Amino acid sequence: MLLPLFEWCDGLAMSQAYRDSTYLFPVTQALHLLAVTIFVGAIVIGDLRLLGWGPVGQSRASVARSAQRILLWAGLAVLLTGIPQFTTNALTYHRSWLFVLKMWILAAALLFTATVRQRVAVADEGHLSSWVPRVVGAVSLVLWMSVTISGRLITYYG
Amino acid sequence: MSSLVATFAWLERLDWTTALRESPFGYPLIETSHVACIVVFAGLVIMMDLRLVGLAFTHAPLAQIQRRLFPWQMASFVPSTATGILLFCVDPLRYYRNVLFLAKLVFLALAGLNALAFHLKTYRRAEGWDDDLQVIATARLTGAASLLLWSLTIVSSRLIPNNWFK
Repeated sequence: MLLPLFEWCDGLAMSQAYRDSTYLFPVTQALHLLAVTIFVGAIVIGDLRLLGWGPVGQSRASVARSAQRILLWAGLAVLLTGIPQFTTNALTYHRSWLFVLKMWILAAALLFTATVRQRVAVADEGHLSSWVPRVVGAVSLVLWMSVTISGRLITYYG
Repeated sequence: MSSLVATFAWLERLDWTTALRESPFGYPLIETSHVACIVVFAGLVIMMDLRLVGLAFTHAPLAQIQRRLFPWQMASFVPSTATGILLFCVDPLRYYRNVLFLAKLVFLALAGLNALAFHLKTYRRAEGWDDDLQVIATARLTGAASLLLWSLTIVSSRLIPNNWFK
């Protein structure tokens, strides 16, 4: 269904430049990993706080607000370094079940983080049963680690 | 040098390193676990660095956030190191002359020394950190150095498979 889009990505001048260069693709991969590390760090610190661990001296909302800025900047960097990797290999990824799986988990993780996790993180601490933030922290941690792990496995089993 | 090569050749020929190298799952699964542990470990180190330089989590006192994150950093550092050593053992002759691998080890060692120096210099006065201008200045410098060194460690690690600069 999406094949024309994948073919268009493959044919972009940027994709060709990436295929022609020895250094462009590996350096983009390395910067992608760095951006992912910063993004996951900002997720994990918030999830630990939701679970009742980590920086408990601060309110959940205070940790979430500080982490949010990092998430936005690191997320932008993840996206900018991810797009050229995708377009360069679009036709390979079209057949990769791991890539498709990663994108579905990513969509779920983004949706969950922007809605449920965000609401719970900034909610008044007295208004929620103590198990709610814990479950939300655990689900977020599992979702984002699954995105990272499935992304890494594309290299081997994609 | 030749005894080092002999040791690596011996390591490479062992039954269990050979089995892991030849298995379709051995290397990929260890490497994926390594990456999963590293992103948590380095991610939390970078969060602390951003606090040290004063860019994030500024509502939290310095010493407090360091103390609260430290157990989680260690809990992810130990399996990161264990899986890292395992990866090296599986293919030692492939790594020991790889310039990017050696660069990674140097950046890693420098990042460790940077953290140790900060710890030794400030640990005894952990309570008054946020009022002590000298500690704040040292913290900014340490945080900036740590951000740079961990970034270089991660980037050089990801570039190892390309084996440039042969």
